Amino acid sequence: MPKISRRTFLRVLGAGMAAATASELRPGGPLLRALTEEEKAALQDGQDQWLPTVCGQCPAGCGIMVRVVDGRAVKIDGLPDHPSNRGKTCPKGQNGLQVLYDPDRIRGPMKRVGDRGAGDWQAISWEEAIATVVSQLTMLRFAGQSHTLVFLTGRVQGQMEGLIRRFCQAYGTPNYVGHDSISMAATELAHGYITGHRALFGYDWENTNYLLSFGVAFLEAYQPTVRNLRLTGFMRRGRPNQRTRIVQVDTRLSVTAAKADEWVPVIPATDGALALGMAYVIISESLYNHDFVARHTFGFEDWTDDAGVTHLGFKTLVLRDYAPAQVEAITGVPSDTVARLAREFATTPPAVAIANRSVSMQSNGLFNQMAVEALNGLVGSFDRPGGPMVQRPAPYLPWPDVPLDDAAEMALAQPRMDHAGTDRYPLAEAVYQQLPDSIVHDDPYPVSALFLYYTNPLFSSPQVEPVREALKKVPFIVSFSPFLDDSSVYADLILPDHTYLERLQDVEMVPSTGYPVVGLRQPVVAPLFDTRHTGDVLVEVAKKLGGTVAMAFPWNSFEEVLQYRINGLWRSEQGDIIATEYPFFWEEFRRRSLWSDPPYRFGEWSRVFQTPSGRYEFYAQGLKADLAKAAGAEAEIDALLAKMEVQARGDEAFLPHYEPPRSAGDSAQFPFFFDPYKLMTHAEGRGANQPHLQETLGTLLNQKWDTWLEINPRIARYLGIADGDEVWVESPAGERLKVRAVLYEGARPDVVNMPFELGHEAYGHWAKGRGANPNRLVMNDTNPLTGTLNPFATRVKVYKA
Amino acid sequence: MPRWAMVIDLDKCTGCQSCTLACRMENNVPFAGQEQASKGRAIFWNEVFAYAEGEYPHVKMTIIPRPCFHCENPPCVKVCPVGATYKDEEQGLVLQRYERCIGCRYCTVACPYGVRYFNWYQPEWPTGTDRYQNPNVPLRPKGVVEKCLYCVHRLPIPACVQACSSGARYFGDLDDSNSEVAQLARSPRAVRLLEDLGTEPKCIYLKEGL
Amino acid sequence: MQMRDDEVLFRSVFQSGRRAYLLVGILLAIIAWAVYAYVHQVATGLGVTGMNRPVFWGVYVTNFVFFIGVSHAGTLVSAILRITGAGWRRPITRAAEAITVFSLVLGVSSILIDLGRIDRIWALIRYPRFESPLLWDISSVSVYLTASVIYLYLPLIPDVAMLRDRLSAVQGRRSWRRWLYSKLALGWTGSAQQWRRLERGISIMAVLIIPIAVSVHTVVSWIFAMTLQPTWHSTIFGPYFVVGAIFSGIATLILVMVVLRKAFGLEAYLTPRHFNNLGLLLLTMTLFWFYFTFAEYLTEFYGGEPAPLGVLMTKLGGAFSPAFLAMVFFCFVIPFVVLAFRRTRTIAGIAIAALLIDVGMWLERYTIIVPTLTLPRLPYPTGSYSPTWVEWSVTLGCLAAFALAYFLFSRLFPIISIWEVQEGENAHVPAAEESAASESTV
Repeated sequence: MPKISRRTFLRVLGAGMAAATASELRPGGPLLRALTEEEKAALQDGQDQWLPTVCGQCPAGCGIMVRVVDGRAVKIDGLPDHPSNRGKTCPKGQNGLQVLYDPDRIRGPMKRVGDRGAGDWQAISWEEAIATVVSQLTMLRFAGQSHTLVFLTGRVQGQMEGLIRRFCQAYGTPNYVGHDSISMAATELAHGYITGHRALFGYDWENTNYLLSFGVAFLEAYQPTVRNLRLTGFMRRGRPNQRTRIVQVDTRLSVTAAKADEWVPVIPATDGALALGMAYVIISESLYNHDFVARHTFGFEDWTDDAGVTHLGFKTLVLRDYAPAQVEAITGVPSDTVARLAREFATTPPAVAIANRSVSMQSNGLFNQMAVEALNGLVGSFDRPGGPMVQRPAPYLPWPDVPLDDAAEMALAQPRMDHAGTDRYPLAEAVYQQLPDSIVHDDPYPVSALFLYYTNPLFSSPQVEPVREALKKVPFIVSFSPFLDDSSVYADLILPDHTYLERLQDVEMVPSTGYPVVGLRQPVVAPLFDTRHTGDVLVEVAKKLGGTVAMAFPWNSFEEVLQYRINGLWRSEQGDIIATEYPFFWEEFRRRSLWSDPPYRFGEWSRVFQTPSGRYEFYAQGLKADLAKAAGAEAEIDALLAKMEVQARGDEAFLPHYEPPRSAGDSAQFPFFFDPYKLMTHAEGRGANQPHLQETLGTLLNQKWDTWLEINPRIARYLGIADGDEVWVESPAGERLKVRAVLYEGARPDVVNMPFELGHEAYGHWAKGRGANPNRLVMNDTNPLTGTLNPFATRVKVYKA
Repeated sequence: MPRWAMVIDLDKCTGCQSCTLACRMENNVPFAGQEQASKGRAIFWNEVFAYAEGEYPHVKMTIIPRPCFHCENPPCVKVCPVGATYKDEEQGLVLQRYERCIGCRYCTVACPYGVRYFNWYQPEWPTGTDRYQNPNVPLRPKGVVEKCLYCVHRLPIPACVQACSSGARYFGDLDDSNSEVAQLARSPRAVRLLEDLGTEPKCIYLKEGL
Repeated sequence: MQMRDDEVLFRSVFQSGRRAYLLVGILLAIIAWAVYAYVHQVATGLGVTGMNRPVFWGVYVTNFVFFIGVSHAGTLVSAILRITGAGWRRPITRAAEAITVFSLVLGVSSILIDLGRIDRIWALIRYPRFESPLLWDISSVSVYLTASVIYLYLPLIPDVAMLRDRLSAVQGRRSWRRWLYSKLALGWTGSAQQWRRLERGISIMAVLIIPIAVSVHTVVSWIFAMTLQPTWHSTIFGPYFVVGAIFSGIATLILVMVVLRKAFGLEAYLTPRHFNNLGLLLLTMTLFWFYFTFAEYLTEFYGGEPAPLGVLMTKLGGAFSPAFLAMVFFCFVIPFVVLAFRRTRTIAGIAIAALLIDVGMWLERYTIIVPTLTLPRLPYPTGSYSPTWVEWSVTLGCLAAFALAYFLFSRLFPIISIWEVQEGENAHVPAAEESAASESTV
């Protein structure tokens, strides 16, 4: 097995270290510098070595090593020491070289010369590019309009998030908008109310004996996917005489469902009811973990507050409303199955229930998620070996305070374009999908500038077309994309970033191992083209803007920012890199591309539960408090709930409960639930220009290079549709897509399934004009309560073309 | 000399296709593109195929990763008129001499497992993609047959075995009774595909389930 | 009588006219187009055909088997009938032997066209592996081709000598022909010793060539039967293919004869009796063919093993059922009806039956080769096959090449073996007169 060659790096960095001083890092005083041209050349000089870095095909952050021969990257494999993937990769990871060497990459900064969207570009220098950005931003700021800059981000990782947020703050715009509202925000919100941590959980899969997944694409798209794949192998065969039972509740026979021991087909958006039906059996048969419930949970029994008011408890609610027979009527899952699953779950410890997008991105999603999580509380698997864990964050050095001048203060007081946190979306931090409408209607004000970083709204937004209108309206659009994607086509300036194999960046592992893991993404080859790290660009822009903006960035490059923040890891004296001086720490960090701080210590209850009760909350007091704040008073909550289109009232609204989902489209006209889903090869929507991924697109149905619609064979016959026929899929908005139908026994009769990834209008010649984009059919149905999109609320009709 | 064999544990396999991608990248297998792939000409030295049995909701989906099986009694070697495919007895591998293949495709037709592929055109490496070619594996011209060689150039760990995310693939010496593959081959879950044809395939599958 | 024979029979050799040029022109055009298609294929790759995975073999291999099958015309008619002393064979032996040679060449060409790397053909000579049925095939076909050429050539000698003499008698005739004929005549004078040697040679060849021919198509069938593919791996393939070969060979011979008869006015020599006999032979072969086919299908169907049954079902109701049905009708149903009854067994009827049989037999090869390949043993998706313009062009080109070769041959040499016909006629004369006549020509 090829070994990582350390010699070159050590030789190269040795020169650097000799020039370093041994003092602590302070803002403005870099300790180590980036590789010189000479050092870069050494890397390319007839060498054949494996260099460590971090993959960038999805958010997980798996460590990889890249074989570089004569300056060419020729193979990627997993980094053996990385705690998450331990030397393994997914197919996307293997295919990273097709990102680096994509022939359609942008060669250097460009500016638009013709009409917006016409595709006429002129190559310009970085000086000109940055000067243009600086002058535009300066003018805006001078006119008191800095808040009309919207910085839209998608797959932002590591310090780039902090850097961009800091930039927005210092410059003076409240409009930093991330894309979580079309991703996992509702799941995180639910976790926040149960444990006080608004984040995803880690899971100790190595010790799990029963995995009950509610629609989670565990083996396909649930970061960190490779860890899931690896540990699935372990759960099945890694322990003698012990084989974890895996049950998949799903609206479709996915790969995860196919490899599970049992697939439980369920009516979409009713998973919460199923979980509560199981809770009924677990509670009524007294199978729950009495000890855990008594000591570490809140709201299981009815309780009385300080004012003497009695509140409903989880137990009462469940026993009242969720008997298996009632649950069968709601979910379509037979009551014996509900009972059996419940008994299995409760008697096979450690047992874990998980849920994600397909459950939480519904109009009743927040409560669905809470219901599923409640099962872990009932059986007491939470923060126990084999169960969910609350990931400890990496101890980065805190950012220095942002100096704000008057202009910035005033600007930051302005309302957000996406209305997050207002009474339109009281609990949301950002509402990505609200932007197009806001921009088009100048609501609350016209947008003057739009910056796009690692996001492609003209592809990823519901309906898609409203974004085009918005893009046409904004006078100044800058994209940092290395690829000419759908949205970048409408930009005025493109300042291409490096692709991930050319880039320096820290990548903190998404919640998974429970203990913090930080990987270092570093260039394994010299940049192929005239691209620049967006972090460097923003630092330079900030400095050129002068004043407090420049002061907010006492660093000269992204690397210095990184070194500043990573310093905290060294200072904490935690983790697996021991060094007396920071330069040695940094050198080792670079050499391994990895820092981690095992082990996870279970049972740190005061850290794990940051709720008002300090316990796992069945009764979400945090939710009540937030709603009270948004409504003005506790008494006004019910009125607010009505306005938010939530059906529950009173205590029930803060407990895991089921309420019927809202659909976009009436079921008579639009008989099918629409299920757009993610494939393993779906590289966060960025895979359409990667030919190998396209050629292995769909495993189960042997599909390649094209979009398809999975439909149940009996229903298809009824509609006169044969396998391979072209069909129209139409949404209530009147938008329709023509795709091939594939008859699939794993499709529910009431659901049609279409994979994401294709349907671009730009993004390179392999991606352009191929396939269909299911986002076009997705109605912009947003949950007012959480601000999250409900793509699965969309209903469609299907007919032969 | 080792008698190389592979074991694939279907209970651990998660159908992710890392093996397929790793193999393609390691062995310079070009992609066919949409048109040629739709005509059934895409090359997959390792192919993950799936098939469904049963009717909704009682559907069984089987996912099987399939490399070449490097049979002990290979039907393909028998029929090659020029010895372009041959059995390396020292290692127990069925290998290819690309420079000798006349492209008659008899071997592709004789293999009952369908593990062989043909270069219908000169393989295309669009600008840039030739940069990530592996210098240790020869490029094939048009008109010749190719297939999985158990990464003979980088033994003892083929790319697919290294890349398998769930650790479902094993590789080793079947003649070493203590090796992992030899032990797994004796497992009650062990099966080989189309065993009754007498090809004696050296890729052993372990069935799903307990 | 001799002179009349000569007139008629040599007419074909010396005739020329506008129609001939037109015909040659058209055939050359088709061949040129086919050559273009092939060059395009060599330059670009076999991807220009419709073949794919899993259908790695298609029209070219079908053509290969078909043409080699047709090449059994010469063997049967000429050799078998010669050995059994069937006199009615005399006017048709050469036509049959010519079919054999040209058809064999086209068969070999078809398989060469199918190769992915024709530039590496030398490998077959440098590194032959005799474990491979393809090498058996190469050996067998080479021997058969050599033997057939000899077998065509030997009886040609006396006629060539006659032509040589004829041309020498007339001044001013084109010299290249005279030169060609003198060379080919090998100094034939018609002496008794030469005749004895010739007859001996022909008899030996006639005996040898039968097992060679049988081996050829047996070995061709073994290319398929030695694999483990469902419905290919059959013990019956050897005899089945030989029967089919003879079947299509006779059909082709009939067709060729119909054309020659019309084109060269050979009604006196290719009489209804000849056609009737060939028609009866064809009827016999139809029955044989049907018997083998029925036995094959019944066995597979009854046994019901999934893999072969799947292949069968594609022919009995699936994608290949049109081809299969056509084959059954063209090879058996219609020919049986037409040939079994005197009333329909006319020259026209026999010709129609023969044409249908040739088409049907091509379909038979196709439905043996392709359906099996569309259904891999492992549960991959079912394959499909759509030949492209390249394959059809090449096929048409082969047929045109056959016609052209045949046409040119009949321009150079009398298509009916004059001396054999005369020999047959003289056989009715008492033996004494014959020996007197032969002595006088010494």
